[in-house]
Amino acid sequence: MVIVPILCALFLNLLHKKDRAIKAVTIILALALPALPLLANYGFHYFGGYEPLLQNPTLSSNLPSFITGGVLSTFHPAITYSFQSAQQLFVFILGLVGLLALFTSVYETRRPSGVYAYMLFMGIAAMTAILLTDDIFNLYVFFEIAALATVGIVLVSNIKGNYETALKYMILGSVAAPLLLLGIALLLGVTGNVNITDIIYSLKTGMVDPQNPVLLMACGLIVFGWLYGSGLPPFHTIKSAIYSKALPSGSAMIQAFSVFTFIALGIVILRIFSYLPLSQWVILGVSLLAMILGITMAIVQTDIKRMIGFLAVGELGYIGIGLGLGTAFGITAGLFQAVNEVMITALLFIGFGVVLYQTGVSDTRKLGGLMFRNPGVALLVLLGGFAMAGVPPLNAFQSKLMLIQASIDAGFPELGVIMILLSIVTFMTFMKAFHTVYLRPKPADLEIKTETIPKATVISIVVLLVVCIIFGLFPHYVTSYLQPLATSLAGGVA
Amino acid sequence: MNLYDMIVKKIKDIQEADEDPVTNLSTTSMLTAEITLIASVLVALVMLRHLSNILMIVAVLVVLVVFLTSMPIMGRLRKEQNDSLSSMMFYIIIALTIVITLFYWGNLNV
Repeated sequence: MVIVPILCALFLNLLHKKDRAIKAVTIILALALPALPLLANYGFHYFGGYEPLLQNPTLSSNLPSFITGGVLSTFHPAITYSFQSAQQLFVFILGLVGLLALFTSVYETRRPSGVYAYMLFMGIAAMTAILLTDDIFNLYVFFEIAALATVGIVLVSNIKGNYETALKYMILGSVAAPLLLLGIALLLGVTGNVNITDIIYSLKTGMVDPQNPVLLMACGLIVFGWLYGSGLPPFHTIKSAIYSKALPSGSAMIQAFSVFTFIALGIVILRIFSYLPLSQWVILGVSLLAMILGITMAIVQTDIKRMIGFLAVGELGYIGIGLGLGTAFGITAGLFQAVNEVMITALLFIGFGVVLYQTGVSDTRKLGGLMFRNPGVALLVLLGGFAMAGVPPLNAFQSKLMLIQASIDAGFPELGVIMILLSIVTFMTFMKAFHTVYLRPKPADLEIKTETIPKATVISIVVLLVVCIIFGLFPHYVTSYLQPLATSLAGGVA
Repeated sequence: MNLYDMIVKKIKDIQEADEDPVTNLSTTSMLTAEITLIASVLVALVMLRHLSNILMIVAVLVVLVVFLTSMPIMGRLRKEQNDSLSSMMFYIIIALTIVITLFYWGNLNV
């Protein structure tokens, strides 16, 4: 699941400037992305080493007893990847959004770029590894690859101001990412391990003092890296700027990277540091801030992509609330919200991308009257907006309802009130954008291209919407994939 | 001067001369964002009841007074959250300080 997208990326890069070949090969290779997690078997995979000695009697029989009889036999000498039902769902959704983004990009651009497809595939490979790995240093390596792929996607977009925004993102990343690495180094220094399961074992068995100040510092630094990777405050401004400077297909992918980084690092923080009560409070506080700042900033935006970018930041807050509540039901709801957000935001970026495709304008003050030009796409985008706001029977309604129930069950009804209030404002923000783009009279100076919308774009929007409706109608089917992970994170507490 | 005109005037005062004109749509958006921000923060502060009821009452009253005396906040907040690298860097350093302080001293002393 990681190697195949990397090979696809390298192969497509070799096809640079061979337009027709790129288009055909990209579509064929992209079809493998959602198929791979469906075909793979659940279990653990070991790279660069063996499974723990405890599970390998053949190897341990030749070793002295002070190794096989002690704690060393439980440790993971290899880079361990864990593939369970939750990871299967995440990688499938990532692959699906990747497929549709690649599909859209090759038909929306006149000359498909092998470099652009390379960036998308590399980002998908990195994100898959982040979701699967149980090794925190390996996670960091792919975290950096995903950040570079993000910058690459923005650089090749050819949108005004993209270079400046990408450079700012890299500068801010050069501050935040090394601090994340420092946090991991401190964790390694204290526990002697980079395998997350082994780190937890060291903490639970008293091999390491859980209140060691270096460990607390490591937790703080990892949380800071989490803020950067997922675009939580104070990184929400640059993240929304990054979304607005990428092509619609690129924005759809970058937001998926942000959401999956959010849950991957959030799960790591919960697994290792859940014994610190403050960690859950910090997750809740940051999530609340992201929700409030993201959604209030979204409503005052005049650029559609920037508006969706801020809404995406606000929606991250909902996921964080679920994780921060710390109950199995809350975490399931948060992870379900993450899956839903990835699809809905991708739908909106690709859907509003049609406006950019036809007019070249993303400023809502200069747009209008597009309903008469493409009512079908307008309807699909409208339904996507309803999904984001949590209108029944769409998927985000189910996940937001679960989140509200979880917050009440956990003794925080205030969070439920805030989530309802912000969902209403999300609805209002979307309707404002929809009205200005589609419903009000067309400005006299607005030029609309006569070209028809690529069928690939419409197909992508329809597929995403159908998945949103299916997830909304059958939420238990999706949550059954997430419950085992959520229960283990909550320590078996329902 | 009615209330709406007062709000428009206040937004104009905060915005610089080179910014876009204040329209009905931008005023409504700003007003919605303002009310949402205040309401959300006040409701969030009610959660302090888990620590202390007195702390919650004091915090809600203090923040309410601060909000009422410094309205409109959203205009300033929007201006503050711009794409300037120096302002982003400033908030990043502030956030790093808060996070490290919370985790380091918060866990050791609470």
